[in-house]
Amino acid sequence: MNKTKAKVAKAKTKKILNVLITYCILIVVAFIFFFPCLWLILASFSKSGSIYSFDGFFPTEYGFDAFKSLFTDTVMYNYPKWFLNTLFIAVMSCILGTIFTILTAYCMSRFRFKSRKAMMKTTLILGMFPSFMGTIAVYLMMTQFNLINQHWGLILIYSAQAPMGYMVQKGFFDTIPYSIDEAARIDGASNFTVFVKFILPMSKPILVYTALTAFTWPWSDFILPKMLLVDKDLYTVAVGLMSLGETEFARFAAGSIFIAIPIIILYFCLVKYMINGMAAGAVKE
Amino acid sequence: MRKTVSALISHIAVIFAVIIVIGTLGLIAAGVSDSGNEKFTGEIERNVTLRILENDTAKEQGYLKELLDAFNAEYAEYGITAVDANMDQYTDLETGGPYGYGPDVLYQANDALMKYVDGKHILPMPIEKLECHKYVSDKAWSAYRSTVQGQTYTFGIPVNIQQPLLYYRADLLPDDWQTNWDDDKNGIPDMIENWSDMYRYSQEIRRQSGGSKYGYMKSLNDGYFASGYFFSYGGYVFGGDDGKDTKDVGFSNGDGYKGAKIIRQLASVMNLECTEDTITRNSYSRMAQGTYFATMTTPDVYTMFVKEMVNEGYTEEYALNNIKMVDVPQLPVSGNLEDESQGFKAMTVMGGINGYAISSYTKAPNAALAFIDFATSYKMINRRCELLGISPARSDIADELGGLNETINNNLDSGTIYVMPSVRALAQVWTPLQTFCAKLADDSLTGKNAFVSDEALKKGISNVDKQIYDSIHTLGGS
Amino acid sequence: MKTAQKIKSFFKDIPSKIKSIPKRLSVRFAGAKEIITQGNGKVAASMLVMGLGQLLYAQWAKGFMFFIIQIAFIVYFVLTGATDLFGFFTLGSRESNAWYGVDGDNSVVMLIMGILSILIIILYVAIYIANVKDAYRTQCAADTLKQPTKFKKELGSLLDKSFHKTALALPVVGVCVFSILPIVFMILIAFTNYGGDIVPPALVDWVGFENFGKILSLGQFAPTFFKIFGWNMLWAVLATAINYFAGLGLALLLNKKCVKGKVFWRAFPILAYAIPGFITLLGFKFMFSYGGPINYYIQQGGGEAVGFLGLDAKWTARFIGLAVNAWISIPSTMLLATGILSNINTDLYEAARVDGASAWRQFIKITLPYVLFATTPVLISQFIGNFNNFGIFYFLRGGLYVDGYFLASDTDLLINWLYNMSIDNNYYSIGAAISLVIFVITSIISLTVYVLSPSYKQEETFR
Repeated sequence: MNKTKAKVAKAKTKKILNVLITYCILIVVAFIFFFPCLWLILASFSKSGSIYSFDGFFPTEYGFDAFKSLFTDTVMYNYPKWFLNTLFIAVMSCILGTIFTILTAYCMSRFRFKSRKAMMKTTLILGMFPSFMGTIAVYLMMTQFNLINQHWGLILIYSAQAPMGYMVQKGFFDTIPYSIDEAARIDGASNFTVFVKFILPMSKPILVYTALTAFTWPWSDFILPKMLLVDKDLYTVAVGLMSLGETEFARFAAGSIFIAIPIIILYFCLVKYMINGMAAGAVKE
Repeated sequence: MRKTVSALISHIAVIFAVIIVIGTLGLIAAGVSDSGNEKFTGEIERNVTLRILENDTAKEQGYLKELLDAFNAEYAEYGITAVDANMDQYTDLETGGPYGYGPDVLYQANDALMKYVDGKHILPMPIEKLECHKYVSDKAWSAYRSTVQGQTYTFGIPVNIQQPLLYYRADLLPDDWQTNWDDDKNGIPDMIENWSDMYRYSQEIRRQSGGSKYGYMKSLNDGYFASGYFFSYGGYVFGGDDGKDTKDVGFSNGDGYKGAKIIRQLASVMNLECTEDTITRNSYSRMAQGTYFATMTTPDVYTMFVKEMVNEGYTEEYALNNIKMVDVPQLPVSGNLEDESQGFKAMTVMGGINGYAISSYTKAPNAALAFIDFATSYKMINRRCELLGISPARSDIADELGGLNETINNNLDSGTIYVMPSVRALAQVWTPLQTFCAKLADDSLTGKNAFVSDEALKKGISNVDKQIYDSIHTLGGS
Repeated sequence: MKTAQKIKSFFKDIPSKIKSIPKRLSVRFAGAKEIITQGNGKVAASMLVMGLGQLLYAQWAKGFMFFIIQIAFIVYFVLTGATDLFGFFTLGSRESNAWYGVDGDNSVVMLIMGILSILIIILYVAIYIANVKDAYRTQCAADTLKQPTKFKKELGSLLDKSFHKTALALPVVGVCVFSILPIVFMILIAFTNYGGDIVPPALVDWVGFENFGKILSLGQFAPTFFKIFGWNMLWAVLATAINYFAGLGLALLLNKKCVKGKVFWRAFPILAYAIPGFITLLGFKFMFSYGGPINYYIQQGGGEAVGFLGLDAKWTARFIGLAVNAWISIPSTMLLATGILSNINTDLYEAARVDGASAWRQFIKITLPYVLFATTPVLISQFIGNFNNFGIFYFLRGGLYVDGYFLASDTDLLINWLYNMSIDNNYYSIGAAISLVIFVITSIISLTVYVLSPSYKQEETFR
């Protein structure tokens, strides 16, 4: 009797210790990830624009000047316009890119056609090319298609290049048991129906992951829009921020924070689909 | 079977025939040469829109709008409208121009503009037709001259001469400067007249403040500013008659190593921040806080110093009176800041000449020329100086304004401004040079003392020349 | 030992694979032979003009579709296709002169449009073959007195049996044009003299293997190449391992039952994920600089300023690079691992718990194999991404040449080195040649890993 009690107590302390350690690690991790962001947030509230009127990480004086100028002083740096531009590009590329990537990954995972392995190897190998000159080709192609200085040109490129990263999603589909497809097909469902009605609902976590990456990439990309957008009014936020003067640090920081906000919002909207995607219990063999 | 084979073969044959016939026709068409025609007919195009690329300061201070409005009013009868191109001020004409996405008129630095000559992206201009022609000195014009296939052309109109200047806080001068820091009694403090006294004064500030305050501060690794020390003792970037022979890299030429010695000495009155670009960025606020006494930078950022002073709580008037901008101090002939025995000589600095050029892809070259003539007229340049505080390349205006503007114009004529060479390979100069300068400063501040002897300095600077040569020519081959 | 054998057998198989090529080819072309020998007049008509045979069989919709495609291709060839294809070989013959408004050839654009025309020709051949096959199928159906398949039904099969064709059509075209074409372009550039003074409007020409000869003749290259390559490999392995296992660990940690408020805790890494990489890098560079906040506190505490990223900071700078890279990449690995973990069949764990397996054993036996299986491709693509990670050291420690390195610093990766040497001077062709050499090395390594990896060999394991 006593022995079991001691055992229970021991297990209990062990459990408490476990929880304690877990939380300690979590706090450290949260701090590591949050601190640089916090610094950026503080910097954006700095009264003087310069990063050098700081005591270490903390501005000497606080104020809203940076945010005010970010949204009102639009003669040189039209941040609100850039923000809308980026939003448009990112949303469109996110939708198209996600559709393309998921379709590609699903086909590569579920269908066995002749050129499949060849295609998989080719994309893998070509992805390895140190293609720092590939943008030249893309630029010249866009001049021929008359898509320079247009947002649709960027959307086209982002969504067309997205399926190159289908591997992650394929890996996910590979883990969904084949028995689901088979059962559905016996019921007379076509491949399209299987995909839409059975596979997709089970793939919410990976859909969310794909959508997030497909959104984040155009949202924070710098190289392509810098190359393809000529007119300052068409700039994206990333290009615009890089063109800010070197003493405008507070404004730069404020702009950077606003870049992060849509992604955070997106995360909070999508997070519930991310965890326990299989909770619906579709798989019981 | 015969049917299928012949059908297949004839299909292939027809497609091949189509491709070969059309392709060959294309080749023949390409062979027909088209001589084209001269663009500057003198007849101004009507009802056209000119996209003007100006620099950001001109836009910020409202000068660009004034210029465009004035021009549009003047040329209303032709139906010409000049508009802001609304592009990045460093837009590369080479990338967008040929495909129709460039501006019609560009305002950039001479090295940027002259880079376009190789691909014939900017037009040679009939400069003698312009009002400003006789007022701009030949030295300034020469920055825009280039020889193409045996003929010499001019590709840009100089507007503004850029050279590094010394900025200092007049209110931070010692109270007794008139008695103790003005040996020649010319009413100018010695520390802003020569580097030896600047060096001594910096030492004194550091001693008095216990190391918390500084005299002269500058990111010494910045090649654009540091190169001046080498030029002053006989160094150059590229050799050849036109300074464009990239096979001859010459920072070590003459007594170039003395420049390295000066940099090393200057570092000793600073801190390790001078080995990176920190000081370039923090000098505005540090000067305003009074932590730094002086720094060196280009004239276009004057307003930023004033802005920071106001941020620190000074009145704008006080700031304007106490932030002073002067020509760079003189260097000791000896190449040693502690040895004034051989006297002083003017410092040569790297500078540039900003100006206008016309894109070869413009549909209205004559209207663009008219615009440039208007923008470089007495009235507009005068206004530009007033609003933007630039040093005009037009000597008539410079003489009228006097002071620093006149000095800068004279510096250009006397050769103490080393005009940035207009060669693409200039991009390869910076990394080796700035690494070496950072190393010099680090050597002096951390007490490694690897560059104490003249021999070590000479070796170091020759190595820079070699690295620059290598980075330009290794991959270029032959 | 086991992997060594695997690799050995992989390479052993190569000769026999090559030997079997003729046999495999004859199998592949058996169908074509059959069509040519057995095809009737209507099939021949389809061979002559696409869609004609189908029209003769009264399959109007399909016939017209093929016919329109046929016409579209001919129009394309007449308008630009043929000249583009010729341009690929000539790379232009007439120099333009913008001073006098003389329009000329732009070699680089011609090269790109040439590649595009070749892609279109390949597409044309594929459609042509499909057209002939289709006609032959109709013939067979008609011969056996069956009704040929109705067009409507064939359309229906696009959503069922050939769903993959429908679904892949657009992505494949997109990837071909915007991902593959630029890479092919870069590979081809290595065989031209594009770069230096020879940029449009000057005419570019094919030069064969000249650029590779130049690389071989450069003596000072080799020592730096091996030094950088060694560090590059080390970097790629370390960075990938750190990001992968830390990301996975974080996901597992957040998946623990005892953690309350998962959404909240997970938001912190997401915050890091949400800030664009270049901003993060600029921020960290400043943080570690002499004038930055870290040195401020060190000096306030009475210490000497530390050059974290300075001239002699070789290993400190490398370590900071790894840490910053981890800060940037861990959140996305965590997101991915969370998604994948959520799909693990929980029955397995229950079974394990019933068997009394410890948490550690559950991790080793169930979680790790499962996650490894699902993410090997990710691991490879992350390895490649890190191998070619240009941004980290370009932003953190750019503009520095270190003694003992030829035009590079001791933190530079191969891609940074390549950039130093080729972009500023526009030495495109030789830069492309070097990247081709690097590419061959890396691709052999990763392809071997991939082919030997469980997720390639046993795609069916978790079914």
